[in-house]
Amino acid sequence: MGLIARVIEAAGIPTVCVIGLREIAERVRPPRAVHLKWPFGHPLGEPGNRAQQLCVLYIALQALYTVQESGTILDPGWRWRREEYEEPDTWVMG
Amino acid sequence: MSDYDRLRQRMGRAVGQLFSQLPELARVWGQLFDAIEGAPVPLARLAKPLHQCRLAFITTGGVHLRSQPPFDMNDSRGDPSYRAIPADTPAEALTITHDYYDHSDAERDLNILFPLELGRELAARGAIGGLGTCYSFMGHIEPPHVTTLLQQTAPAVAVQLRQEQIDAVLLTPA
Repeated sequence: MGLIARVIEAAGIPTVCVIGLREIAERVRPPRAVHLKWPFGHPLGEPGNRAQQLCVLYIALQALYTVQESGTILDPGWRWRREEYEEPDTWVMG
Repeated sequence: MSDYDRLRQRMGRAVGQLFSQLPELARVWGQLFDAIEGAPVPLARLAKPLHQCRLAFITTGGVHLRSQPPFDMNDSRGDPSYRAIPADTPAEALTITHDYYDHSDAERDLNILFPLELGRELAARGAIGGLGTCYSFMGHIEPPHVTTLLQQTAPAVAVQLRQEQIDAVLLTPA
């Protein structure tokens, strides 16, 4: 996935990757990544947990504006289901 | 398929399942990408506010339309091809072919892997400028298919994204 992101970014389109394995991202170095150490097959969260899914979408899209250095891996530290997720109030960015 | 290929296929599945528990395996897999280590990482700037941005989603979770050919799970080195998925595709029209992870939850709620529905909702309420054609690959690509991915299929998707005037891309793994 990081390799695909690098190709697209090199074509001039900003990318952000949600990643579950920091070790691989540190090697492949996608341009921007949000690291969530969650179960495989669940990059945006649990089925039916809309607030959790939107929180991941929000932080990933925000990274498109805030990351200033290529290869940055953001780590929000969210602990899977042991967090209170709230739907973002606003999506105004940029 | 030879016995060797069958063994590699079984090992590939087992490695996929163990990655989350054994970081050492993930590190070993990462070593496959030594070739790109040291290459500069590009960074394109997003100049528009989000509400004007046309987004596309890309997953490596093996999602495809039921009417499209499935990804090739018989090649233990992976399948570097991709499937284009229109933004208005309903979840019922999609399926997942990927033997290396448990996708039963994603089949119940595709938003956890490939959030077309949430993307359409964000576009409808004006939070984003729109959702363009989305794309799916499968992960676990090994040489020599990495070369195909880097030189053919990923650049082909990049060209289509530019043609569709996509401003930014979100990528999600399996």
